Amino acid sequence: MATSRDDSAGSLVGLVVVSHSWALARAAVALASEMVHDRPVRMAVAAGLDEVTLGTDAVRIKQAIDEVDSPAGVVVLMDLGSAVLSAELALDLLEDPDVRDRVVLSAAPLVEGLVVAAVAAAGGAGRKEVAAEAHNALMGKAAHLSGPADTSSASPNYAGPDAELLATFTVANAHGLHARPAARLVGEVRGLDAQVRLRNVTSGAGPVPAASLSRVATLAALRGHEVEILASGPQASEAIDHLLALADRHFDEPLDGAPSPLVASHTGPLPASPGIAIGRVRKLSFASPAADRAAPTGDPVTEWRRVVEAMADVRREIERIRSVAAREVGPQEARIFDAHLMLLGDAEVLADVRQRVNAGAAAATAWAAALAVVEKQWSDLPDPYLRARAEDVRAVGAQMLAALSGAPSATMTGSGILVANELTPAQAAELDRDTVHGIVLAYGSPSSHAAILARSRGIPALVAAGAGVLRLAEGTSIVIDGSTGELVIDPPAATLTRFQQRAAELAQHETEQRAVAGEPALTLDGTHIEVAANVGSFGDAHEAAACGADGAGLVRTEFLFLNRDRAPDIQEQVAEYVGIADALGGRRSTLRTLDVGGDKPLTYLPMPVEENPFLGQRGIRLQLDRPELLLDQLVAICQAARKGPTSVMFPMLSTVGELREARRLLIEAAGPGGLPEGLRVGMMVEVPAAALKIATFLPELDFISIGTNDLTQYTLAAERGNAAVAGLSDALDPGVLQLIRHVCQAAASTVPVASTVPVGSTVPVGSTVPVGSAVPVAVCGEAAADQLAIPVLLGLGVRELSVSPRAVPTVKARVRGLDLARCTSLALAALELDDGASVRQLVSSSLPA
Amino acid sequence: MNDTVSTAALDEWMRTFARLVAENKEALTDLDAAIGDGDHGENMDRGMRAAVQALDDTRPSTASALFNKVGMTLISTVGGASGPLFGTLFLRIGAALGDTSEVSLSQLATALHAGLDGIVARGKAEAGDKTIYDALAPAVQALETAATDGAHTADALRAALAAAENGRDATTPMLARKGRASYLGERSVGHQDPGATSIALLIAAATPAPA
Repeated sequence: MATSRDDSAGSLVGLVVVSHSWALARAAVALASEMVHDRPVRMAVAAGLDEVTLGTDAVRIKQAIDEVDSPAGVVVLMDLGSAVLSAELALDLLEDPDVRDRVVLSAAPLVEGLVVAAVAAAGGAGRKEVAAEAHNALMGKAAHLSGPADTSSASPNYAGPDAELLATFTVANAHGLHARPAARLVGEVRGLDAQVRLRNVTSGAGPVPAASLSRVATLAALRGHEVEILASGPQASEAIDHLLALADRHFDEPLDGAPSPLVASHTGPLPASPGIAIGRVRKLSFASPAADRAAPTGDPVTEWRRVVEAMADVRREIERIRSVAAREVGPQEARIFDAHLMLLGDAEVLADVRQRVNAGAAAATAWAAALAVVEKQWSDLPDPYLRARAEDVRAVGAQMLAALSGAPSATMTGSGILVANELTPAQAAELDRDTVHGIVLAYGSPSSHAAILARSRGIPALVAAGAGVLRLAEGTSIVIDGSTGELVIDPPAATLTRFQQRAAELAQHETEQRAVAGEPALTLDGTHIEVAANVGSFGDAHEAAACGADGAGLVRTEFLFLNRDRAPDIQEQVAEYVGIADALGGRRSTLRTLDVGGDKPLTYLPMPVEENPFLGQRGIRLQLDRPELLLDQLVAICQAARKGPTSVMFPMLSTVGELREARRLLIEAAGPGGLPEGLRVGMMVEVPAAALKIATFLPELDFISIGTNDLTQYTLAAERGNAAVAGLSDALDPGVLQLIRHVCQAAASTVPVASTVPVGSTVPVGSTVPVGSAVPVAVCGEAAADQLAIPVLLGLGVRELSVSPRAVPTVKARVRGLDLARCTSLALAALELDDGASVRQLVSSSLPA
Repeated sequence: MNDTVSTAALDEWMRTFARLVAENKEALTDLDAAIGDGDHGENMDRGMRAAVQALDDTRPSTASALFNKVGMTLISTVGGASGPLFGTLFLRIGAALGDTSEVSLSQLATALHAGLDGIVARGKAEAGDKTIYDALAPAVQALETAATDGAHTADALRAALAAAENGRDATTPMLARKGRASYLGERSVGHQDPGATSIALLIAAATPAPA
């Protein structure tokens, strides 16, 4: 009997309630109707053999379907056992195949499913959507009730066993169903509209929900174990097919074992930061915040939001590392990060976290406790390999805790040589030279942020050493040479002595260069080349001064903004900028405005996840889109500029319009008194289009700084973090050199007018001016410290090099040995060559370092 | 020669089955009470009584009409899982036999096989799950083997009955993996499956007493 025959319901999905009990079905319909009193949904009951006799009747179900059928279709909800069989049989009895096609049998629990389905149908949802909603109806209850400690009974039995499909497979993987294959399995299940449970037939463990990685792991399914799949729901048979196929493919894992051999990498360790380090292997340990350390707790809603936001952050970070690993080591290796992602989104873990948050726990405490439970489960597993996978839980947990606490994500376990898979820019920025004597990364490339920062801190580093290094035991003695890429594990005494000698020679050489570093760098022909330092912190600025830098050619202000909950206010920024200027002892400080984007996200500046952040909203693009941060920063810069020689430059410009807008904000920030005296305004040239159109920018500029790292990656379409194309991504590629020459030539032929001529007025392009008053061009990328690149850059017209503080002495030494005329002819020859390698060869042979 | 079966004989088969079910109602219910909801005998008896009544009312003249009537009646009157399962069995048998009035042994074997397939499709049961499949599948196989060997229908049915009864008995030590009995897990072991028992009655109803 249809409870509503209202015509307005004709366009809505109809519902059929199948139950053994007429009374039960009627009551369920009454309950659901309360939810949808304003939008009549057709609900028909096919229940009981009569009002008192329990049973189901396929003919009656067929009639009920006909009663509520419309082009929108019908969703059938049923209780258990014969209700399921009868409903299926009813489909067979339908004469019209069109009607049959638009009937969906829902595996949802009858009462919960009906209520949710009625609401969804009343809202005009399609039958598939209604079925999906109904299907998920139990999730809320399951999440609410499932206690983490109860591993056997907490898994809700979503449908009567009669509705379940059944199949078994035998685990062939050497290490059983450990994290990686399990993650593949979970991933396969999650995409399907089916409830799937797994049982280890051999050991009797389970059943556990297949969509929960943490639970699947508790099956401890080893090689040779038989695992039973129980699937129900609309796509149950697909789920079975997919899982059997996956099992057949051994979960896409080579049969002879998941762990990669020790130190396996396509390229082997690559030198990333020169110097020799001798010490013990140290790993990053993640702070495990004791409950007493947890931040003051907000209300459960706030805390839960923190969990969700932190998850998004961590997800982004894991995805990033996964893509690096996939690229550089292979998709096989990257699967472990899939496992991490699965753990992050594990419904059971989240339900537990949520429950703890609801009970009043702080986000971090709740997360730590929930993960401790999973970790315990895994640590208790009988198989040592699976047991070791508790490490994966720890890794993810630590990342989450770091994201939640906003604290430094990881600290070294002691002083020595840091061995890690990869370092985030934030982690790299926090490396402490006093404890980190050297760095060995499994992944990454010599031009990654981590490598750049290692160089800037003078920490010897190797990258792309392969995942094998991660298995080196804590405390193992190793030696690395960041200039040659050598990595020696447990070095014999003789080797150790050899490296110690080499280290001593390097130190001696450095001392000599440092002694004269404070003197200006003049070329052999007497041209003064400014050698400044790239500075990312107050400490860097001190170092720069100590190393004889002529100033700070690039202050990366973003390090003031990263790793915190909110942007620094104006006062804090002024203090930091003035502090840097003081440390530089009156030398000029060039502040680059905040250069962030999808690759360096800020928690308080939410940005959409971009498919390609390097071609997305970063640098000035983001700043102009959300100008409040930029305006505050410019106010702070103007205040700092009134206290000492200061320059400001804008990153990532593509058009002069962006520069004009940025200048307008600068003038607004300066206030009624106008721009501070001596504040010079410049831009970074990183976008090839900006280099080619440099003439349009020049009227607005006092100086130019070429960011060769980005300019190179954009010109050669080769990402600098990608080891596979590292060979292409060479700043000495003639294509990049031609852009640099174009900028230098255009800048040399223009009077600097920016700070003296009102905004918007222009100067005739091409007016000839003395070279001495041209717009100076600096290079602040890695190339500026590259011994082979220096003569070429000077030959092209670059007159300032900004390098990491510790590189200042060697760069100055190089400059002092060069003759500008020879550099010019060398540069002209270089422009004609094929690629970066040819240019390097040319320089090596004619002007060796 | 009674090597073909007439519609009247098929009609008699159903009536005999109804009688055997009625006679064994208590036993079937007791079996079901041990591992299910204790209504199998009651349900089957109610269904087969209604089926016989329907046959009385309509007097179908072809095999397909006869089994269709029995199947539909069971679907609407049994109530439990046996309704759709036995209903499907008879509907498929009827569809396979078509509008014949004389059925050969091989036709009968083929039709029963179609019915078995229907039950598998409906209940997703496999050998060893402790279901009606465990009695029906060996019976069908015995019938088919006998048909291939050119046996007499009576001998073939006796062989089928022996197979069904063996299958029925074999369900006792099995662990139920389907139906409500599967909720009991290990506790389902040691009890004969009531559905398999009914199947043995169905085959027995077709089988003449030993010559």
